[in-house]
Amino acid sequence: MAEDLDLLRGTLDLLILKTLSWGPMHGLAVLRWIEQVTGQRLQITEGALYPALHRMEQKGWLGADWGYTERNREAKFYKLTAAGRRQLTAELSKWSRYTEAVNLVITAQGAR
Amino acid sequence: MSNGREDKRPRLFRLPTSRRRLRGDIDRELRFHIEGRVDELIAAGLTREQAEREVTQRFGDVSAVREQLEEIDTMTHRKRERGEWRATLARDLGHAVRGLALRPAFATIVVLTLGLGIGATTAIYALLDTVVLRPLPYPNAGRLVYIEHPVPGVETNAKWRMSQAGYFFFRKNSKAFDDIALYNKSEASLVTPDAAERVRAAAVSGNFFEVVGARPFLGRSFTDADNRPNAALVAMLGYAFWRQRFNGDSRVVGATVSLGSRPYTIIGVAPATLDLPDYQAQVWLPLELNADAPAMNSHYLDAVALLRPGVTVSAAQADAARLTSRLPEEFPRAYSPGFMRESRFGVLVSPLRDIVIGGMSRTLWILLGAVAIVMLIAFANVANLFLVRAEARRRETDIRLALGADRLHLAGHYVAESVVLALIGGTLAVGLAYGALRFLVILNPSSVPRLAELSLGWQAGAVALALALGAGIALGLLPLTRLALGGDRVPTLREGGRTQTASRRQLSVRSALVVAQMALAVVLLAAAGLMLRSFQRLRSVQPGFDASGVLTFEVALPYSHYAPLVRGPAGYLPVFQYHRELAQRLAALPGVTSVGMTQALAMKDGDGCALVFVKDKSFTRETAPCVGNIVAGPGYFSTLGIPMRGRVPTWTDVDAQSGAVVVSKALADHMWPGEDPIGKEVRPNGSAEPWYHVVGVTGDVLTRGLDQPPSEIVYYPMVPIEGAPLWFPPTHMTIAIRTRNTDPLSLAPAARRIVTALDREVPVANVQTMETIVDRSTAKTTFAMLLLAIAGTMALVLSAVGIYGVISYTVAERRPEIGVRMALGAQTTQVRRMVVAQSLRVSGVGIAIGLAGALATTRVLQSLLFGVSPTDPVTLGGVTIVLMMLAALAAYAPARRATKVDPVEVLRRE
Repeated sequence: MAEDLDLLRGTLDLLILKTLSWGPMHGLAVLRWIEQVTGQRLQITEGALYPALHRMEQKGWLGADWGYTERNREAKFYKLTAAGRRQLTAELSKWSRYTEAVNLVITAQGAR
Repeated sequence: MSNGREDKRPRLFRLPTSRRRLRGDIDRELRFHIEGRVDELIAAGLTREQAEREVTQRFGDVSAVREQLEEIDTMTHRKRERGEWRATLARDLGHAVRGLALRPAFATIVVLTLGLGIGATTAIYALLDTVVLRPLPYPNAGRLVYIEHPVPGVETNAKWRMSQAGYFFFRKNSKAFDDIALYNKSEASLVTPDAAERVRAAAVSGNFFEVVGARPFLGRSFTDADNRPNAALVAMLGYAFWRQRFNGDSRVVGATVSLGSRPYTIIGVAPATLDLPDYQAQVWLPLELNADAPAMNSHYLDAVALLRPGVTVSAAQADAARLTSRLPEEFPRAYSPGFMRESRFGVLVSPLRDIVIGGMSRTLWILLGAVAIVMLIAFANVANLFLVRAEARRRETDIRLALGADRLHLAGHYVAESVVLALIGGTLAVGLAYGALRFLVILNPSSVPRLAELSLGWQAGAVALALALGAGIALGLLPLTRLALGGDRVPTLREGGRTQTASRRQLSVRSALVVAQMALAVVLLAAAGLMLRSFQRLRSVQPGFDASGVLTFEVALPYSHYAPLVRGPAGYLPVFQYHRELAQRLAALPGVTSVGMTQALAMKDGDGCALVFVKDKSFTRETAPCVGNIVAGPGYFSTLGIPMRGRVPTWTDVDAQSGAVVVSKALADHMWPGEDPIGKEVRPNGSAEPWYHVVGVTGDVLTRGLDQPPSEIVYYPMVPIEGAPLWFPPTHMTIAIRTRNTDPLSLAPAARRIVTALDREVPVANVQTMETIVDRSTAKTTFAMLLLAIAGTMALVLSAVGIYGVISYTVAERRPEIGVRMALGAQTTQVRRMVVAQSLRVSGVGIAIGLAGALATTRVLQSLLFGVSPTDPVTLGGVTIVLMMLAALAAYAPARRATKVDPVEVLRRE
């Protein structure tokens, strides 16, 4: 198995929001998508995923509805709400500012 | 679109989710996840067992996650519910306000009707709350009791207060009381350089403040030492009096004031909240009490005791009875066994509150019942309006329902509207109640105790709010009863819209409301009518004197100048001379025809009770009857217009100490039935000769009140006969002046000037006309009568409106039928008669039920009635006639309208 990357705090929300921006998905699909995109490098535990989904539902970022999968199994589908979309934009810009800052530090010439 | 799965419904219509549903959703979600994972791994080549192990391992603690999710979802659900509720409420309220603004007449009538009904109830509730329900304004209120001595042997309902000896004996030996305090309402003359003023004084025992639980606002309160005879003269000031007369100056403590021409040192100021029961003392004084004085059977002290914690009133009663039974052995002279037996001297311990409130509690509960009836009648009217409204909106409702509107939601919509109206009505009610109470305070009916404490408390406000809310919700749900009954609603949607069955059901509901209204109105009007008849009866009673054109006031002469401690008649000379001079000067005023004076004015002061001995009758101290003894000066009988037979004592009689007395007819009839009382001889309590001789007999005078039997009275002269037992010089007299002036009060300033000119230190107090005094004696009846009459009038008007509304509605409903009848040749009179008869039928049922109700309930009025039975047929008959006439009258306008129906037009429309 590939190396585990510890999820930075707060990053999970961003990942979920971004994943759901492609369309409504159930929890398992969110998980699969992230694993697939990262080539199994990011492994998210169910114990973190589901509470995050439910909490974001509470905040009104996600809407939830029961529906059927293509294999006709009943599943709970999550989708971004308007508020969720706004949140995603905010989180993305925050993330890029953060990584830029981190990059600046780690790429800087060492002080003598 | 609906496949039975409610989860797919839009959020707003989602029913409240239960905990179990939440849990089920979470389980389903997680199960789907796990199964999906397992399938994935099986597809990748693992066995089911391996796959399941792998998934579980990765997932970790499923139940912990489940718990976490459940917590989050519960919160989510709660939040969402709150939001939905708020949104619904805001929308419904918005709708309601807009809807009502479109129908201002409807809204106004509903608000006014509800406001009146609830307002009247709130006002009486506030009165009841202040007078009856709230504890007395003492910290120890719950444990305070009043001790008195019933003496049924003397007079059926007579109760004596406590004697000094009894007080010391009880205080020392009682097991039930922490302590016993005494008080006395009295008056004092406050003399300032400018004038003299009568002030309300409270004389109390040294422990009074501790017993009721009050601390002085300034300085100190009294101690037992202040009660001792010959103690230094000290006084406390009442808080309000101190603020008003001494500008709240704290340096007043230690200063000296002149009370009754004697210098008193002010030792403190009483707290603002402290008053005697229903008596605002301006000055507090120590009682003079002497534990070593010989016991006397003289009961002049109000006793209030503090129960030991945990001791009940009945236990205290038993303890007091034990002590009372020991009085004869302790004080054989004052409480001889013969006296105890004849008077049936007992003791009664009752909560202090009961003493203060007296019979008012019952009256107020009755009045509350009366206004509650008015409120119900008002509600019935409003309910009728709402039914009409619902009928008008029936199509709208049915269309909404047909389109799938939620019934609960629809109910919320209606209820929002009625609640908005009811709350506006409730606000109006609080305003009206406040106004009514202010008015009552200004009116100041003397029969209502604790009026000074009267306020619209939060309890009354809460009652108004609760009533308004309840009414609003009930009225909102009323139109929905049809929906709940599951009445089929399709017919209304058909063209034409009107179905007879539905409107008939409506009509029967509305008729039932009118029947209930009428029944309630009968009960209330019967009560009001009975009070009115009592009032009439009471006012037609001849008091035995002529109250019109008589001015009265009190003068109190300072003891130090007017009651010298001289033995014999000389001690009475100053009082005698003062009053003779005063009478002469007053008689000289223009318009004055007669001046008289008495120690106890009829109907104001009662007549007291003292033993009387009659010559040639072997009365002993044990068997002598207790009758009224009143010191009356010359001119009293003629000034009050009391009829006399025989001779009236004059100033010469008094001066010569001729011993001429006058007796009342009741006494003469009792003592010398069938004989001429003139020339008979009597004397007051005491053992020595000589006898007073009766020179005149008065007609019967109702000195205790119009509803009381005439009193047996001996009127003694101001100066006792030489050598007879003495009484204290009558320094405190009420002067009566008969005038030709239409307003006797116009004499008051001149009379005041004369009193002040005669002696600057003598204050004038309680200036009032005799008519006022008579009015006051009927105050209890007047008060109850007045309020019941107001309630009755409201009931009458509201019922008239109610029946008018229903009959109008029926006429409108029956237009087609009436049109057909008229087309077939019915006469207008026949049609009118038919409509009026319908009104009478409905009302008749209500009246019949109401009469039965009245017969069952008017008994509660018994204690308030005078000379009329609670089931007085004249009153009940009168009420029936009035209401029948009302029903006919209310139907008249709709009946006229019915005959205006144009048959052609109606038939064409059909």
